[in-house]
Amino acid sequence: METESLVIGFRKSNRSPYVLFTDISVKAGKGELIAIIGQNGIGKSTLIKTLVRLLKPLSGKILVGGTPINDYSRTEFSRLVGYVSTEIIKVGNLTVTDMVSFGRFPYTNWLGRITNKDTEIILSALEMVGLQNLRHKNIAELSDGERQRAMIARSVAQDTEILILDEPTAFLDLPNRHDVLHLLGDLARKHSKTIIFSTHDLSLVINEADKIWMMTETGMFQGTPEDMALNNSFDRLFPHSAATFDIESGRFLFPPEFHRPLKLIGEGKVLFWTCKALERKGFLVNESDKTDIIIHAFEENGKFIWKLTKNDVVEEFNSICELLQKVDF
Amino acid sequence: MSRKSEISKFEKSRMWLFFLMSLMVLTFFLLDIILGSVKIPFKATLQIIFNNYTGPEEWKVIILDFRVPRVITALLAGAALSLSGLQMQTVFRNPLAGPYVLGISAGASLGVAILVMGFSSVLLTGTVGKAGNWALVIAATLGSGLILMLILAVSIRIQDVMTILILGILFGSVATALVGVMQYFSSESMLKSFIVWTMGSLGNVSHDQLGILSITVIAGIIISFGSVKILNTMLLGENYARTLGLNVKSVRVIVFISTSILAGSVTAFCGPIGFIGIVVPHLARLLFRTADHKILLPGSFLIGVIFMITSDIMSQLPGYDQILPINSITALMGIPVIIWIILRRKEITPLS
Repeated sequence: METESLVIGFRKSNRSPYVLFTDISVKAGKGELIAIIGQNGIGKSTLIKTLVRLLKPLSGKILVGGTPINDYSRTEFSRLVGYVSTEIIKVGNLTVTDMVSFGRFPYTNWLGRITNKDTEIILSALEMVGLQNLRHKNIAELSDGERQRAMIARSVAQDTEILILDEPTAFLDLPNRHDVLHLLGDLARKHSKTIIFSTHDLSLVINEADKIWMMTETGMFQGTPEDMALNNSFDRLFPHSAATFDIESGRFLFPPEFHRPLKLIGEGKVLFWTCKALERKGFLVNESDKTDIIIHAFEENGKFIWKLTKNDVVEEFNSICELLQKVDF
Repeated sequence: MSRKSEISKFEKSRMWLFFLMSLMVLTFFLLDIILGSVKIPFKATLQIIFNNYTGPEEWKVIILDFRVPRVITALLAGAALSLSGLQMQTVFRNPLAGPYVLGISAGASLGVAILVMGFSSVLLTGTVGKAGNWALVIAATLGSGLILMLILAVSIRIQDVMTILILGILFGSVATALVGVMQYFSSESMLKSFIVWTMGSLGNVSHDQLGILSITVIAGIIISFGSVKILNTMLLGENYARTLGLNVKSVRVIVFISTSILAGSVTAFCGPIGFIGIVVPHLARLLFRTADHKILLPGSFLIGVIFMITSDIMSQLPGYDQILPINSITALMGIPVIIWIILRRKEITPLS
């Protein structure tokens, strides 16, 4: 799937169209997991709806396999591109299997008869998302994560080359976000589908996505997360916010209120997590020698111990929490 | 294990339910013919129906000219109103949608009122021949179609279920108000026949009208059974339906035509009959525990027929001469069910 100088927005009758985002020229290859990121209201959902033909582009082209998407018939297109929206479906008496079998709609006859082959595809889609044991449960009784996986299973059963999802990780807790993203990554790599999804979970995306389409006020940027990190591209994401992208840690940081240097000595995971906590509190860790605060973090007899040396007074702590309370003052 | 045996067990119980309901339809159908203000022995009734009867002639007239057309009308009306209610609930994704609540029946009344008061009150008595009866059906269908079109136009812009419902009630009220204005300017005899019509009646349908009603209702039923797949897909809402390759505009038109025909033609001959359209689909969902229209459509059909024939039996107050207006009976039977459904919110299966 690719777009050529696509312009998206809304068209209202008798009025000039409301342009949301211009000059989108991006490309999604086979087997790629692509994340669309950008601020609220920048047009992520509109772009997604335009890509799945729910909205008409204001100008420009969208091509699938080199053919403009409007040249496909409804059924042809529904066999090429699947869609999962943010909408929460709460139809009563609808089982997970029923929901997934909706994905077979473009392939069934006018009565919607499910053949043995369709049943196999539905079952394997359920297995792929790990819902085979919940298949007789009603969709309304599922947790948010389960329901999202059921919606993904439905689009897997639709058997399309391209799958486009609008914020699949919204409403989910952290483990479920990881699960869903991991599932999408699997679908892309093992089943060589093209998967495009929008999200706000930058830190997850940087680890999982093959490519990022970044929508900013200065335009659309695309690239691998790593290239974007090296180019400082992520700073453009929040032009009006104090947050900056820290190239070393791959995290977004808010500039600390004050910078107090200190020296931290230690190794391994205890060093990593202590450093993280101190940085959050606004300390400049190991960047300057002009400091009178020294912290030793180490492991002894299976316990973690922190030793704080401040103005030649030495204190020992058993947790980071206790350490932070003292080191501040 | 499973999957196969689980499903077949499930489907077996459904088959039993269908069988039981068909049996109930048959029983109530016969019961409705047997019961009435004039006592006719069971044996004589059967003989009359099976055409080897040699008793008093007036019994034959009562059975063949009054009771049989009446129960067939009840059957058609029950099926038609339930199926149009089910389709409207699915397409509007609104558990409280139905031809009566959304003002579709009021629209049909308006169509009928314009025809009757503008031309002739004789139309309602069913003695004016085929052309007049068809005019009545077409006027009612156009009237209900008008209101349905307004609601559809609104529902494209407004997604909120309650707003659409309230607007439907308002549109219906406008139609009713227009009818009121026309009543004010019409003659006494016209007024009376129209008011009797609005109370709803299954008994005033002539043989000619019954023929027309059968044709339109069967046409509506065929269209709705042909829409199984698209109705199922509409459960997911428009966006999903479109990305699954459905032409949502044409779906709207198809469902729009079939509901207008079903609700409109029944209203034309029987008057506005309320609440069956809302209640029956919920009963079907409750009993069959599914959202699949392959089962809900025949299920609503059977339950609707049972509901309507039962209402008809009750309206005749067996043993008395009077016949109560059918609209009051369906309201008295239907509204408690709706209240019960709303109070047990869990069971009002959401449709969106």
